[in-house]
Amino acid sequence: MSEQSLLQVRDLSASVEDLPILHNINLEIKAGETHVLMGPNGAGKSTLGYTLMGNPHYNVTKGQILFDGQDLTNESADKRAKAGMFLSFQNPLEVPGISLGSFVRNALHEQTGKPVKLLQYKKQLGEAMDLLTMDSEYADRDLNVGFSGGEKKKAEILQMLMLNPKLAILDETDSGLDVDAVRTVSKGIQEYQKKKDGALLIITHSTKILESLHVDYTHVLVKGHIVTTGDGSLVEEINEHGFEKYVRCEGCDGCSPLK
Amino acid sequence: MSENNKAVVDIDRRVYDIKDVENEQDFYRMEDGFTEDIVRKISEEKHDPEWMREFRLKSLEIYNKLEMPDWGPDTDDLDMNLISSYVRSKSDMKGKWEDVPEDIKNTFERLGIPEAERESLAGVGAQYDSELVYHNVKDEVAAQGVVYTDMESALTGEYSEMVHEYFMKLVPPTDHKYAALHGAVWSGGSFVYVPKGVKVEIPLQSYFRLNAAGAGQFEHTLIIVDEGADLHFIEGCSAPKYNVANLHAGCVELYVKKNARLRYSTIENWSKNMYNLNTKRALVEEGARMEWVSGSFGSHTSYLYPMTILKGDHSNMEYTGITFAGKGQNLDTGAKVIHQGKYTSSMISTKSISKSGGIGTYRSSVTINKEAKHAKTSVSCDSLMLDSISRADTIPGMDIRTNDADVGHEAKIGRISDEAVFYLMSRGLSEEDARALIVSGFANPVSKELPLEYAVEMNNLIKLEMSGG
Amino acid sequence: MSKVLKVNHLPALTYRFLKSNDSEIEIKDIEIKAEKTPVTGELPGGISVKDDATEEDIRKIFKSVNEKIAAKKLDIPGPNGDTMPLNDAQTVRTGMGVEIDSFMQEMNVPVTVISAEEGQKVSQPVMIRYELSDGDCVLGSQVIHAKKDSEITVIMEYVSEPDNGGFLGIQTRLLAEEGAKINLVKVQTISEKMVHFDDIGGVCDDKADIEAINMQLGAGHTWGGCRVTLLGDNCVFNNHTGYLCRHKQGYDMNYVADQMGKKTNSNMVFRGVLLDEAVKTFRGTLDFKAGSAGSVGDEQEDTLLLSPDVINRTMPVILCGEEDVDGRHGASIGQLGDDTLFYMESRGIDEESAKKLMIRARMESIARMIPDEAIIIRIQQYIRTIL
Repeated sequence: MSEQSLLQVRDLSASVEDLPILHNINLEIKAGETHVLMGPNGAGKSTLGYTLMGNPHYNVTKGQILFDGQDLTNESADKRAKAGMFLSFQNPLEVPGISLGSFVRNALHEQTGKPVKLLQYKKQLGEAMDLLTMDSEYADRDLNVGFSGGEKKKAEILQMLMLNPKLAILDETDSGLDVDAVRTVSKGIQEYQKKKDGALLIITHSTKILESLHVDYTHVLVKGHIVTTGDGSLVEEINEHGFEKYVRCEGCDGCSPLK
Repeated sequence: MSENNKAVVDIDRRVYDIKDVENEQDFYRMEDGFTEDIVRKISEEKHDPEWMREFRLKSLEIYNKLEMPDWGPDTDDLDMNLISSYVRSKSDMKGKWEDVPEDIKNTFERLGIPEAERESLAGVGAQYDSELVYHNVKDEVAAQGVVYTDMESALTGEYSEMVHEYFMKLVPPTDHKYAALHGAVWSGGSFVYVPKGVKVEIPLQSYFRLNAAGAGQFEHTLIIVDEGADLHFIEGCSAPKYNVANLHAGCVELYVKKNARLRYSTIENWSKNMYNLNTKRALVEEGARMEWVSGSFGSHTSYLYPMTILKGDHSNMEYTGITFAGKGQNLDTGAKVIHQGKYTSSMISTKSISKSGGIGTYRSSVTINKEAKHAKTSVSCDSLMLDSISRADTIPGMDIRTNDADVGHEAKIGRISDEAVFYLMSRGLSEEDARALIVSGFANPVSKELPLEYAVEMNNLIKLEMSGG
Repeated sequence: MSKVLKVNHLPALTYRFLKSNDSEIEIKDIEIKAEKTPVTGELPGGISVKDDATEEDIRKIFKSVNEKIAAKKLDIPGPNGDTMPLNDAQTVRTGMGVEIDSFMQEMNVPVTVISAEEGQKVSQPVMIRYELSDGDCVLGSQVIHAKKDSEITVIMEYVSEPDNGGFLGIQTRLLAEEGAKINLVKVQTISEKMVHFDDIGGVCDDKADIEAINMQLGAGHTWGGCRVTLLGDNCVFNNHTGYLCRHKQGYDMNYVADQMGKKTNSNMVFRGVLLDEAVKTFRGTLDFKAGSAGSVGDEQEDTLLLSPDVINRTMPVILCGEEDVDGRHGASIGQLGDDTLFYMESRGIDEESAKKLMIRARMESIARMIPDEAIIIRIQQYIRTIL
């Protein structure tokens, strides 16, 4: 299994309302790997996250998304989730009337198709919330209603830990968080990494969140093209020099993103 | 804050209020009231084609049967027997400004009309009482095939068939009592045809002036913007103030064909003895766009709700309006929209200001039919109360018949905050200026939609209303 | 008997083609039973019940507030198309209007007066349960009178077996004297073969508070009206209505917060779901009368449309004759948003389940405010059953 790719993105192009955003993206993530997707604002990073998860606003105009041996290119988001994909949202949904605890339980039930045993579930939820230093009363509060920015992000990571996906895509999970919150969220991600074979695609434009994480690959996205791919050390380099040289298109194989 | 600063002050209408003495022998005035005899006389006077005379008589029949609506402002003081349906200068319509009779010319010059034409308009029509006295289109616009003429000429000229085909089809006389009245006694107004693909770069304007006391103005505006064409039409209205009621029951019919765009801007500043019972309606075809910009400042009583029918798929409309109801005014204004085509969208945004005992009512309807899948509508209406002897009422309605629609509605009512006034005063403004500035800011979303000179006129009107001149 | 009642007048009339200026209840060939209010369980201490009051008695109860209202007679005109004068004859203005008053009197419906004595703050609810058998046609009327500085909670349940036919018409009038608080909960789960109306009218004096929760889940056709006159200074009216209409159910509403006193506060929330061929008409009015300086009002309507065959009419009215007020109305009407659906799906919840989840969420967000665990569970079960 670990030899075979978990996620294979082949020549993927996508557009939003007829405006092409992503161009010929190729990306391979194996089970257990941690990939980082970086790039300046407006590069299309979040679009890639949404497209992988199957947001209907984003149209795949070319290419394929293969996941765990299945072609998911045209599947709805719930099928992708059931196949083991997870996306942490930048602006998660608020639902008055459904508590965080009951929402996660519902999602677990939908994904596994089996009833979720209440006691065991409560224990597991409690542990995950402890890890994320979330007050246990949040489990009974309406999903994301009145949560601060930090609490919402934690609630997303909590869902990741509870749903235990094969691949978690984290979309700007660190943005707008203070130092302590970034550390806590980071702890949650590490916990997920510990799980055997759990893969990660971390979308970020800063490097704060990556400091305490092991990174296998770094991809740089500029104007909808992956312009370079390197190992974890690329993060350091970008941290120091920024995206300048990629925007100027060095190391790009003729895609000319500025044209 | 002292009560004095909120005191009732009436608008300074210096420019609008100058009455021009009409030399009786130069004018033809129909006797007051609305009878079959009078309608026949008008028809004769205007050399109507046969079908039009029939149409007028039928409309009068309908008028006599219909009731006044029970929901709007009171019109009990409007005595129809005291309104003259038709007043015109005995001089004919002119194509040259120099040829317009002196007294009429003076009126329009004082209102800045010829100057505006020279500077920023593609064509101008000027109506004085019941008939157009002046009509002119710039040569380069005429060369594009754009037709801009008075309704009477259109009725008998080259476009007579087109007029017959479209006249009061969108607003049938059965629509309401004053539409019927309009059908019976209409006169004056403009006919515009913009051929396929023609984009008129600068606006056309009609200016309506009702000068005679106790008269009615019933002009008919018919605009057809053909496929892919583009037009901005501006309508201005004013009248001096008399102690007797005047009536304006105009009718505007707009046809916006496939992928065309029409912007229709109005600054209405009738005098405060005017009953403004006007009907405006647009039929918008596939991919076309209708834009309304509407400023209501004048009139004693207004019923005004431009309606847009989004018939074609992907058609859309935007309505931006402001109403300023001052002393003695009951202005009931808003918009109506019907979504019929798929992927249609509408946006209604209005501001309403009430002051010195004025009654401002925002009234609207949004109808989304079952076929109008993927329709989108957003309504936003803000009202500002400037004292506690006025009224600001918001009465919107929505009728949604498909689930596949996205409907948003927001309404707010409030006042000028003391903090905002204090802030501006701390920067050196007088309280009066501070309040005027805040009101201008409130109106800004509307004024920024107007051509500069009209935005300036509107801001002047607001300032006058605020300061009491 | 047969009768047509004209009810739910929009406070200011508008275009006739919207067909929302009022509504008609057609009552055909039924034998009406005028019943005393079925108060169940033990009556909490501090509460008294008198169950054979006449309209004359009720007039006496409301005499002093009605005098106070009359003294506030305003000299600025009402809105264009004002319908307020139509209901001048009511003892207490209600949402549905004067024809309900005359119907109740004509049918000799005894009025049950439930009072909280002065200074008594009673948290234990008074339970009222209308349980309808097949063919029952019932009218009921009650007055909840919270005397000075008291607090009372009344929970009213309307239930029947799923297939029972019949009629249930209720009028509940409220008086919250100075500093008093009334919590009124109504939960309606009667059969879809029944016709129902529920009319509420209340008056709040200085610093008084009326809190209403309304769950409309059953009945074939329902008319609901609620008008609260915020007469005193610093008084409060909060309303939360949740409704679920499916099949060919119809729900016709008229809510009015009539803000007369200074610094009054109204907040009305409506959350509903329309399925199948359901038809709903919502009228919601904030009426800021001259003199209501410092008052605020907020109305929020949120309707989820889940079938292409529903009809949703919404008339969100704000009337205002006072400068120093802050009023707002927001409405959001449509199907499950793409973003909502995508979020749910990204967690593995498919469209059908997401819809059910959102229906439950909407109903629960209102239901859970009810101070009675057993009723909340009954509502949850009811919703689960019908979904």
